[in-house]
Amino acid sequence: MNVLASGSFWAFVGVVAGIYTILALGLQVQFGFAGLLNFGQVAFMAIGAYTMAILVVKEGWSMWLAAPLGVVAAGIGGLVLGLPTLRLRADYFAIVTIAFSEIIRYVATNETALTGGSQGTIALGSVGTAAQYNGQWSSFEARVQHTLGFSSPDATMLVIVWATALILLTLTWLALRTPWGRVLRAIRDDEDAAASLGKNVFAYKLQALALGAVLAGIAGLFYAWQFSFFSPDDFQPLLTFFAWMILLLGGIGRVWAVPIGALVFGLIFAGTRFLNFAPFSWFASDERAYLRLIIIGLIILLLVVLRPQGLLGNKREMVLE
Amino acid sequence: MFLQLLVNGLVTGSVYAIAAVGVSLVYGLLRLVNFAYGDMMAFGALITYGVNGPWHQSLIVAALAGMAATAALALLLDFALWKPLRSRRAGFMSMFLASIGLALVLRQALLLFGSAQPRSFRVNPYRVFVLGSVRISEAQLIAIVAAAATIVVVALLLAYTTTGRVLRAMADDRSLAAVAGINVERAIRIAWLSSGLLAGLAGVLAGLVEYSFDPNFGFQLLLPVFAAVVLGGIGSAYGALAGGLVLGVAQEVSTWSGFAGGVNPTYKPVVAFLVLTIALLIRPQGFFGRARIA
Amino acid sequence: MSALLEVQDVVRRFGSLRAVDGASFDVQSNSITGLIGPNGAGKSTLFGTIAGSLKPDSGRIVFDGRRIDRRPAYRVARSGVVRTYQAARVLTRMTVLDNLMLASIGHPGERLTGIVLRPRGSRKRERETRQHAEELLALVGLDSHAREYAGTLSGGQRKLLDLARVLMLRPSLVLLDEPMAGVSPTLRVQLLEHILAMRRERGITFLIVEHDLDFVMQAADRVVVMNEGRVLAAGEPQEIRSNELVIDAYLGKAHAPAG
Repeated sequence: MNVLASGSFWAFVGVVAGIYTILALGLQVQFGFAGLLNFGQVAFMAIGAYTMAILVVKEGWSMWLAAPLGVVAAGIGGLVLGLPTLRLRADYFAIVTIAFSEIIRYVATNETALTGGSQGTIALGSVGTAAQYNGQWSSFEARVQHTLGFSSPDATMLVIVWATALILLTLTWLALRTPWGRVLRAIRDDEDAAASLGKNVFAYKLQALALGAVLAGIAGLFYAWQFSFFSPDDFQPLLTFFAWMILLLGGIGRVWAVPIGALVFGLIFAGTRFLNFAPFSWFASDERAYLRLIIIGLIILLLVVLRPQGLLGNKREMVLE
Repeated sequence: MFLQLLVNGLVTGSVYAIAAVGVSLVYGLLRLVNFAYGDMMAFGALITYGVNGPWHQSLIVAALAGMAATAALALLLDFALWKPLRSRRAGFMSMFLASIGLALVLRQALLLFGSAQPRSFRVNPYRVFVLGSVRISEAQLIAIVAAAATIVVVALLLAYTTTGRVLRAMADDRSLAAVAGINVERAIRIAWLSSGLLAGLAGVLAGLVEYSFDPNFGFQLLLPVFAAVVLGGIGSAYGALAGGLVLGVAQEVSTWSGFAGGVNPTYKPVVAFLVLTIALLIRPQGFFGRARIA
Repeated sequence: MSALLEVQDVVRRFGSLRAVDGASFDVQSNSITGLIGPNGAGKSTLFGTIAGSLKPDSGRIVFDGRRIDRRPAYRVARSGVVRTYQAARVLTRMTVLDNLMLASIGHPGERLTGIVLRPRGSRKRERETRQHAEELLALVGLDSHAREYAGTLSGGQRKLLDLARVLMLRPSLVLLDEPMAGVSPTLRVQLLEHILAMRRERGITFLIVEHDLDFVMQAADRVVVMNEGRVLAAGEPQEIRSNELVIDAYLGKAHAPAG
């Protein structure tokens, strides 16, 4: 139980919550504001992370060039997904987005020469060497740590992630208060009515999808930096479902509900590690991982049935029908 | 070689087809995309394994037990989850998210109580039948015969029994059916029962064909099955059958070396999705689906 | 003077049903044209093809000299053709004011590039739009509801909001789909006054589908009668009233089962 008292542990939980905030924010733009049923969000996270890692390790690029390009690649991924599929009806679109994210994971797993395959980024470099992309990031982090006077890199990462998250949250919030954001909300409400007002619904949806993908790409970068190594299995649909759960927790259609949902999610996820009482104590520790996910699944079910507007959502603006 | 791939494709395709009909029956009636369906298939396969392996029953008995168990599970879930959601007038989104939560719970429960170890049914993997240039293993043969029989039976039931007609009519227009005096709740129960039976059967057949499986294999099957449902036009049982067969065959045949070297076999699922995407671009409602009337 | 709107041999099928089966007529600029006919005559479907929400299977629709039958709905709206629905289609989860603010075409702030590259132009347009919206709300008597969700409005109020939205869009041609359906007598008078004022002051042309024949005879300059997907007759209200074919069509339908 002494891990619970460890600041390092909570810093870690905070970082994960921050990364998920950015990921779920992207989803909030796509679904909460444009009404898109994107169940493939994790794919853009993967594209961002992998693009950056490949450019740094294989092409020898500077991190500060590779990272933005990773984000751009994620956005392009959004365009590639959206162009052929956004005109489909909602349920088909949902299914196709899951397929898309699985295809990305497949490609990452099988194109070993490009991505390191199932072994992950460690195999990105030449055979026999353990590739590492995090060099520049680590020195940057160390500089920040020194400037802020922190003693641990975890706390530093926490600050960097949340500073970025807050900037992105603010930018998104501002964007949604513009006339552009108003059109998005109209589309979410009744897209045929929006079309009869002269709005090019397809173009707006595509923009929302791409912007949400950009945010997911940024989340992917932070994931890559935090863990300094990743593999295709890190980008399973489960992460997309966590992002959806965060939206459900916080409330759909509210930008500032996202960090709250992410923090609650982080607490649930981390907190369930330490359930040492019955019935959890009946299971071996590796089996408890399954139990935690069952709890998460049950929470999703309870939220959908009992409080679909989320903790902070507005019932009148509730979009979950 | 091509013929072999065709046969393999029909085997895979018929498993998809059966599962797809199960998904479609529920969607047609309840507008519910059951994301937990893959895990219900895995459930059926695992129960069958339990009866077939540790309990030493024959495969047929075990499979029937598995199907019955899955059907029971489906009815239980309707009572515990879907019915309450219906009474709250939950919309499509809520149901979809709920089915995702359910899938999570189901799969993790299977892993928790069953372990992630791969298992196999008691079938002889080395027994092979040879027909011309085509080799079929015992497992594949059982699968294709069982699947073909099921498809025929399902198609006949849908076409000629009152229940079948009711289900198809309700898929078309549920409110009208209710007014026409059809017992909606009973039809729903029958749909779940059938969906569960089909899921159990599809799970067993898939487990047979893949030879070894673990609780995670349900989700891997789910996407091609959904693709089949969408390809055929969601809500149309016949479409689901057709979609399943088409995708199964397309997947296998795409690896034929005659197609410029053929697709890398590890990318077979990608082929299924590509076929789906292209088909939807041409016909957004699927083969037998209904276009959105503006 | 060539017509503002020309419908030429438009056909639209749903499966085996020929909802519109070769309809042709003109609408003159600055006129109020009534489109009448028994239930199932194809009027709403025809509206759909003109407004762009449905594509005709064959035929042409020419507006202001340009073909619009192949254009998507949003581009038809931008060209100056606005359509309303029988049950006023307001955005229920947005405020009444926002509903009107959305009815501005070519607002730079509505494009991402506009927000970034033309912030001042965008703000200016936003101010103008808000002013115009508030004026129109006052005109239709909804200004006290400006900050409420449109979903809280009554049916009659929604019709007024719909009307205000039409005015915001500054169209050349307005397609009204049964504007008087379910409307109280007082509101009826109000709506008619607004329509006549719009024609008079802004030169807007109206094509109105309506079952209330008294209204049509009173308000319309010209009446087009549809039956079974085709145009049966077209002319001044007096002529139509005494037209034998028209009477037959209505009488025949009056004795047939509804739907």
